[in-house]
Amino acid sequence: MSGSAATLEPLFTFLNYSYNTFETNFYKIPGSAVVARYVKSSHQNDPGRTLLEVILIIFAIRTLLQSRTRADHSGKHFIQFDEKEIDDLVDEWIPEPLVYPLDQKEQADLASVPVIVGPNGPKPKLASGKTVVNLASYNYTGLAGNEHIKERGIETLRKYGLGSCGPPGFYGYQDVHHQLEQDIADFLGTEAAIVYSQSFSTISSVIPAFCKRGDIIVADRGVNFAIQKGLQISRCTVRWYDHNDLKSLEQVLEMVERERRKKKSPLTRRFIVTEGIFDVDGAMSDLPKLVELKQKYKYRLILDESVSFGSVGRTGRGLTELYNVPATQIDMLVGSVANGLTSGGGFCAGSEIVVKHQRINGTSFVFSASMPALLAVAASEGINILRNSPSILSTLQENVRAVRSILDRADYIAIPSHPASPMIHLYVRLPSATFLMPQTPATPFTPSLPSLAHSPTSPSFKLSNPLSVAPRDPPVFDAELEERLLQDVVEECLAQGVLVTRAKRLNQELNPVRPSIRLALSAALTKKESEKAANVVKAAFTKIVGKRR
Amino acid sequence: MESFRATPTFSFLLFLFLSPSTPFVSHSRPKGLYYSPSSTVTTFDDFVMPASMPSSPMAISPAMPTPSMFKKKKSTNAMSTAASYLSAVSEADARARVNKGSPGSTPALSLSSSVTTSSEDTVLEESDDNASGLYYPAVPPTSEQTFNTVHTEFGHCGNENYRYTSHHTPGEPIAGVREQDPPYYVLLTTYLSYILVICFGHIRDFFGKRFKPSAYRHLMVRNGYAALNSDFDSFYTRRLKTRLDDCFSLPVTGVPGRTIVLLDRYSSDCNVSFHPTGTKTRALNISSYNYLGFAQGNGACTDAVEEAVKRYGVCALGTRLEAGTLDLHQQAESLVARFMGMEDALIASMGFATNSTIIPALVGKGSLVISDEFNHASIRFGVRLSGANVRMFKHNNMESLEKLLREVISQGQPKTHRPWKKILVLVEGLYSMEGSLVNLPRILELKQKYKFYLWVDEAHSVGALGPHGRGVCDYYGINPRSVDILMGTFTKSFGAAGGYIAGNKNIIDRLRVSAHTGPYTEAMAPPVLTQVVASMASIMGVTMLPEKPASSSLSLLRSPDSTDNAITGLEATAYPGTAPSSALPPWMHLPQSLIDGSDGEMRLRRLAFNTRYLNRALRKLGFITYGNDDSPVVPLLLFHPGKMAVFSRMMRTRATPIVVVVVAYPATPLVTSRVRFCLSASHTKEDVDCVIKACDEIGDLLDLKHGDGERWPLEEIISRAVELVNMKHVP
Ligand SMILES: Cc1ncc(COP(=O)(O)O)c(C=O)c1O
Repeated sequence: MSGSAATLEPLFTFLNYSYNTFETNFYKIPGSAVVARYVKSSHQNDPGRTLLEVILIIFAIRTLLQSRTRADHSGKHFIQFDEKEIDDLVDEWIPEPLVYPLDQKEQADLASVPVIVGPNGPKPKLASGKTVVNLASYNYTGLAGNEHIKERGIETLRKYGLGSCGPPGFYGYQDVHHQLEQDIADFLGTEAAIVYSQSFSTISSVIPAFCKRGDIIVADRGVNFAIQKGLQISRCTVRWYDHNDLKSLEQVLEMVERERRKKKSPLTRRFIVTEGIFDVDGAMSDLPKLVELKQKYKYRLILDESVSFGSVGRTGRGLTELYNVPATQIDMLVGSVANGLTSGGGFCAGSEIVVKHQRINGTSFVFSASMPALLAVAASEGINILRNSPSILSTLQENVRAVRSILDRADYIAIPSHPASPMIHLYVRLPSATFLMPQTPATPFTPSLPSLAHSPTSPSFKLSNPLSVAPRDPPVFDAELEERLLQDVVEECLAQGVLVTRAKRLNQELNPVRPSIRLALSAALTKKESEKAANVVKAAFTKIVGKRR
Repeated sequence: MESFRATPTFSFLLFLFLSPSTPFVSHSRPKGLYYSPSSTVTTFDDFVMPASMPSSPMAISPAMPTPSMFKKKKSTNAMSTAASYLSAVSEADARARVNKGSPGSTPALSLSSSVTTSSEDTVLEESDDNASGLYYPAVPPTSEQTFNTVHTEFGHCGNENYRYTSHHTPGEPIAGVREQDPPYYVLLTTYLSYILVICFGHIRDFFGKRFKPSAYRHLMVRNGYAALNSDFDSFYTRRLKTRLDDCFSLPVTGVPGRTIVLLDRYSSDCNVSFHPTGTKTRALNISSYNYLGFAQGNGACTDAVEEAVKRYGVCALGTRLEAGTLDLHQQAESLVARFMGMEDALIASMGFATNSTIIPALVGKGSLVISDEFNHASIRFGVRLSGANVRMFKHNNMESLEKLLREVISQGQPKTHRPWKKILVLVEGLYSMEGSLVNLPRILELKQKYKFYLWVDEAHSVGALGPHGRGVCDYYGINPRSVDILMGTFTKSFGAAGGYIAGNKNIIDRLRVSAHTGPYTEAMAPPVLTQVVASMASIMGVTMLPEKPASSSLSLLRSPDSTDNAITGLEATAYPGTAPSSALPPWMHLPQSLIDGSDGEMRLRRLAFNTRYLNRALRKLGFITYGNDDSPVVPLLLFHPGKMAVFSRMMRTRATPIVVVVVAYPATPLVTSRVRFCLSASHTKEDVDCVIKACDEIGDLLDLKHGDGERWPLEEIISRAVELVNMKHVP
């Protein structure tokens, strides 16, 4: 007995000692006395409670630890392997190649990309040595190669160097960027604007900056790829309405509201996301109606004017100017500086709050260097020119009308684009029955009249499923055949001295996009030249598509 | 000031109570430090003529007699240059006259431009007043030395001892310095200060909502609209970040070179809004990503860009696949490929988008991405878009990576346990917040064993590391082709914008066709491409081809094979090789110092010296820094959020103002707020001394010196700098 006590003696001393050190150390922690007093008094009042609390604490710690281990071992699906087995599995595993080599068609596609030697513009020189009329590059207002802009660019270069060498938060925000933001805001008539350094990355950052999980976005089924990516990143709930069909939009808005009432869910942020002129087909939104709906249902409107800014309106301010809708009615107005002002980058205009929010939350604004000063100044200068020379846009519209009057009547061409859009998509029109694609005849240009590409007029109209991006009756077309024909048309045009391009798409778009040739008209060409080029395109269609039969 | 030593209890109070209106952090600065664009003391001298002139048919001429070629002298010994000074002034006048005349030729377009026009040369903008010590070199040039850069853009440093070569010594541990923990009281007070500020913020919100509801209206549900940003979501921004906002997003103007000009501003409502004061402050710039000092408004690269603007305008007008591809794009891409030692390369117009739009083309559903936990936002953005599964490993921790690899390969896809289609490991070459270098040798060993694909983001390392500036592969002496994809940006080392992807031809062609960049994003602008080509060529050096076909650049465009042949002629695959003259646009005239690569080499070696010097000096002073000694990004740990603001303000209001970048949560872990220095080849040793002195003083005041290891006094560090840099190892 005493022997065992003697052997346990050191253990007791140790326990006693460690208890003492623990106690003294514990009381050294500021505030520990309070805790001790609390524990003591609660124990006195109700010993059962102490037990309960201890169990609670242990439980909390366990759950905490567990949730961490679960991430590592993916819960119940985790299979235990020993090291040897893992080695074998590692040896066995054969990964797919990182990429598959291009197939023949892709190679041909890549090889057919035109290369321009020297400056790009209305009449660039190609690598083949040929000088062509350019109906492909974005130069709506013909600012490319403007001597005054070049001069200002060079001055800026000498003063600022080229790169900004830092993101806007860290000394990359130069006065020229501020100036450009102000110029854009002034030009459009909004409170403020923010400039991103690439136009594609603008909207795909703007959307997730505002729309979080649980928020609701109602979007057009035909939105461009950048918007699709923005929606994907934002992880919010997306409801779809038929492409450029505001009746469908209203039905979806109605439905969302009903759902919310039924579920009694709290009010979340709600947005309508659509484009001014759609990149996929050149159709134009009916802005006044859109604004009316948005106000009626209390949604915010994110409008992508990447195509329409700098290409429509009296001085190129875009849809707001065309329809005479104050830009302040649009909560987030996104546009492309690269295409609209032939410089670089993109912008989002809106209220002070909207812009300020993006300065902290716009991912590609915060984490990327601001655009070169020279490009910012070129854009400011572009705005200045547009503002002061309305003749540019009237020349452009004249060209659009001239070209449309030729192509609208062509036999083998179907045009889904709005008559005022200087970006014109040309589909192949095959007169055979298999390629029946309902083409609404192009409506004459009246801003107040919406051009609804797939406007459902029949009373039996039924809503597509708003939960799915696919429309109820998707258009039918033979993409491969049309692509081939269009590529032949492109080459034929090139042989005749006119540069046009197919609208290049990845087949990662949410809905299959019908192949088209995308023309971008320019004010830098005269009406005669535009007409001549349009006739070449028309003849090429007739030759290639007509010959096919 | 000495009484101001920050005690632990005091430090977090700093955060709370030092608003920008206390004198200590005031923006009003002693008179005499303002940047005043008045007269000049900078002098032209005879144009710098290179010793040898190339006799090649290629039009690479000697240094062009441009006004940017001038050297600067102390005004005291300006006697000999009085004549040239006068000629410089008259030349500048002539230029001004020409500039004034020209816009008139386009009457419709000559309406007053929105941006302040200034056509004076930098020479005439220099200030008489050198109180900040930023305008003239501390060491006057000797009679043999000529400098053809503007000192405020690219510092004059003729001392050949202040050079070093960035390289990795085989066998040396890669981890960099051991990351140290600060004393407990620092951690404790850091947490406490966060808690205090958060409590304070909630109290302010509580009362604010009751007594000043108008200030909260935009955060609440309002006539049927949910708040864009609820009071809860924006709490961190409103109540914590706003306190420091005077240290972020400072507007600047001019070249972000060795120095930068701040547009002063003040806030009368505690950083909610800022107003310009109209004054400017020139400050030493140790913040811009200007590693090789190519941010210049003068010099041969800029001359080339000017020529490009004249020839090409400012825009490529379209996407790469839709009539936006210029000859310049192809020339630049082939040069980038050669620079990186890869088969082919692809250029995108934004660095962020290079990651965010190209990663989705490589991986998708059924693939796994393994990503370092500290990877840049653009990488995460791209990974999220790709739809691939993601797992993270501990920052730069190879054991963590290997453990994860073993787990994911053996487990396969979640639930189904099917094997992964492929695994892509994403790492950065140099981490911009940590200053740590990727352990590439070890990753390549793992790659052999675990058969994953490797993507290295060299945004910060390309140009900045390695004896030839080719990035981490060059630094470690590794064949770049053992990495699948080298990505990088031109924003940092090359003073341009945009990014590239380099890899084998198969991959790059696939990406040209299948990545978002090709059909959807704007092509890179011609002036930017030119800057890329000129700066890269000057780092590589240019080799004259023995006989140059008249249209070499054209043939180079059409058939890729002929390119290869042209280069095969001389050491085709040699890495790191030089740029063949055929790879440059025929109109690009580079002076001799760029052609022989001596200018590029000087930049690389100066950067390497500055980098090692600052890293080691800070540690010798007792600061806790992170990262590798050869990393031009130097994070110095501050811990306290309050000290961030004070540090930044104190640096900015010194006699020689210094601008720094401070970063805190969420960019870093909560407790490790830090200040980050980015060195540049444009800094002189005296500039680094200046930073060290400032850190020393402020470090004492703010109680920042918690590092262990041997310390040296300030004077010793400065006088033994060369020795310090060349030491094998500094604990
Ligand atoms: C690792 C990394 N990748 C990409 C980028 C984005 O580059 P850019 O600023 O050119 O868009 C950065 C910039 O900070 C970066 O640090």
